[in-house]
Amino acid sequence: MIWLTWRQFRTQALVAAAALTAIAIYLVYLGSRIRDDYAGVLGCQPSDCVIARHTFDESYTGPLTVVGLLLIAVPAVIGIFWGAPLITRELEERTDRLVWNQSVTRTRWLTTKLVLLTLASAAVTGLFSLLLTWSASRYDQFIGDRFGAVSFASRNVVPLGYAAFAFVLGTVIGLVARRTLVAMALTLAVFAVVQLLVPTVLREHLMAPVTTTVAFDEDAMSRSDTLGINDHGATIMGYAMAGTWSLTDDAKVLNADGTPYTLQQAKACEKSSQVENMACMAGQNLHFSYTYQPASRYWPFQLIELSAYLGVTLLLTAFGFWWIRHRSS
Amino acid sequence: MSTATTPVIETGGLSKRYGRTTALADCTLHVPAGRIVGLVGPNGAGKSTLLGLTCGVIAPTTGSIEVLGNRPGGSAAQLAKVGFVAQDAPVYRTLSVGDHLRLGARLNPRWDQPLAERRVKRLGLDPAQKASGLSGGQRAQLALTVAAAKRAELLILDEPVAALDPLARHAFLRDLLDFVAELGVSVVLSSHLLGDLEQVCDHLIVLAAGRVQLAGDVDDLLAVHHRVAGTLPTGVERIHEDVVRSDAVLPGAQPIDLEDLGMAYMTRAAVASIGGAA
Repeated sequence: MIWLTWRQFRTQALVAAAALTAIAIYLVYLGSRIRDDYAGVLGCQPSDCVIARHTFDESYTGPLTVVGLLLIAVPAVIGIFWGAPLITRELEERTDRLVWNQSVTRTRWLTTKLVLLTLASAAVTGLFSLLLTWSASRYDQFIGDRFGAVSFASRNVVPLGYAAFAFVLGTVIGLVARRTLVAMALTLAVFAVVQLLVPTVLREHLMAPVTTTVAFDEDAMSRSDTLGINDHGATIMGYAMAGTWSLTDDAKVLNADGTPYTLQQAKACEKSSQVENMACMAGQNLHFSYTYQPASRYWPFQLIELSAYLGVTLLLTAFGFWWIRHRSS
Repeated sequence: MSTATTPVIETGGLSKRYGRTTALADCTLHVPAGRIVGLVGPNGAGKSTLLGLTCGVIAPTTGSIEVLGNRPGGSAAQLAKVGFVAQDAPVYRTLSVGDHLRLGARLNPRWDQPLAERRVKRLGLDPAQKASGLSGGQRAQLALTVAAAKRAELLILDEPVAALDPLARHAFLRDLLDFVAELGVSVVLSSHLLGDLEQVCDHLIVLAAGRVQLAGDVDDLLAVHHRVAGTLPTGVERIHEDVVRSDAVLPGAQPIDLEDLGMAYMTRAAVASIGGAA
């Protein structure tokens, strides 16, 4: 069975190896450039540091986002082109009648195929993730938003879970749908919906978020997008504490006694320069409420999400075995 | 464990429905070991369904079936005892002839490599040739080779000659007879043309409209069927036109050949189904 699995898979394996090699060469090149530039940014003259950081950000945010999206697409491609046709191709060419009548039960046939090809899927995606995680490590430390939808899904261990899930999903959909094109389309649709829902709806609930009170000062202002003040009070927008995943889009700025900060108070702080304005406001003892996932939860989140995907993969596998035994005849 | 006296196929009230369509109804059969069984019936009679049930690729809706004493397709040991060549002899288009032999060797514990190599050589197949480049006849021979070298106790061939031209049909069947004698296996082969199977089978099953119309050893069947013109004595069953069934010797009765006998039963079933529909 192992020989047959390899014999039927070797063309796809070679294509995957070639693609992975090309990506590896690019990522090693990109990674060493990032390291060189990062050394330059660290050694910057104080006066140039803001510009140096900005240039570093500008140079690498684009390429790393594109490669990250590519890595997120790899499991989908695996599900569509390795998983979905695995059984439908046998059914359409009627070779199921040949191979399922050798002295090997369908259960063993499916076990061998699933184990070997899930490992291959995880290996391809895992190597890609390893390379990208290495390549982007300085950028992630310095600029990166580790909980960002693209960077969270394209670093470390979660891609392994996506790959196993996508491959088994494609295989099981193929087993049930029995038609290659239908199975491919359904695999893409289901996988895309899952990959959209998880980061936008589910992920933030993996652990109960933390809410804290943050003092409104120069540091808080530098970590936010803008401060809006009107008759109803002041609102700080886009604040994110270093390394955390902010779940607060905007928050009311409050006085020490919990009453809203007013326009009158703000007017009292209108000085000759922006810096002086800020210093005045910071002196007014203001605060706002901030709900977030702490930076220390990055690895728990990676592991929880990986386990969840692997768990769903196991459930799908069990369903697939039940179906091939009881329903595919 | 199957022995020489274990029936090859034993079914009781076997039925298979797909939704509301009944492919096979109330099929009760007893096929002894060592036979070459011809399974004959018009297209859509349920032949492929019965063969699929026999090798276990199809599960019955109701009724029972035992093949060589066990549930079909239930275990690796059972799969090893039954060789199956599906209709149109499916093979892997991208694999070579040699790859197919390797597939057989890897997946079957009782694989007979010398037999496989001998057959490939005698058939003049190039081991490096991709299966997509084979003719219909060569593909049928390759599929049969894989099934034969598995050294099964029962070989099931679904419409093995349907896609072959008359010359290839003749060669295929003669070759089949040769190696059946050599291996001592039981064989079931189906066709919608009894003429194809007449020379090779010694047991006949006629299937029409999803039901068994006639089943038995060919010699026994020929002994009790006759052609009789005119009115019939009591106790004699008329099958169709002048074909009758009678255990007793009838005066003036003519013998009947197997092809006409099968045709009489199939015609009767067809007429009955038209009558039933009307």
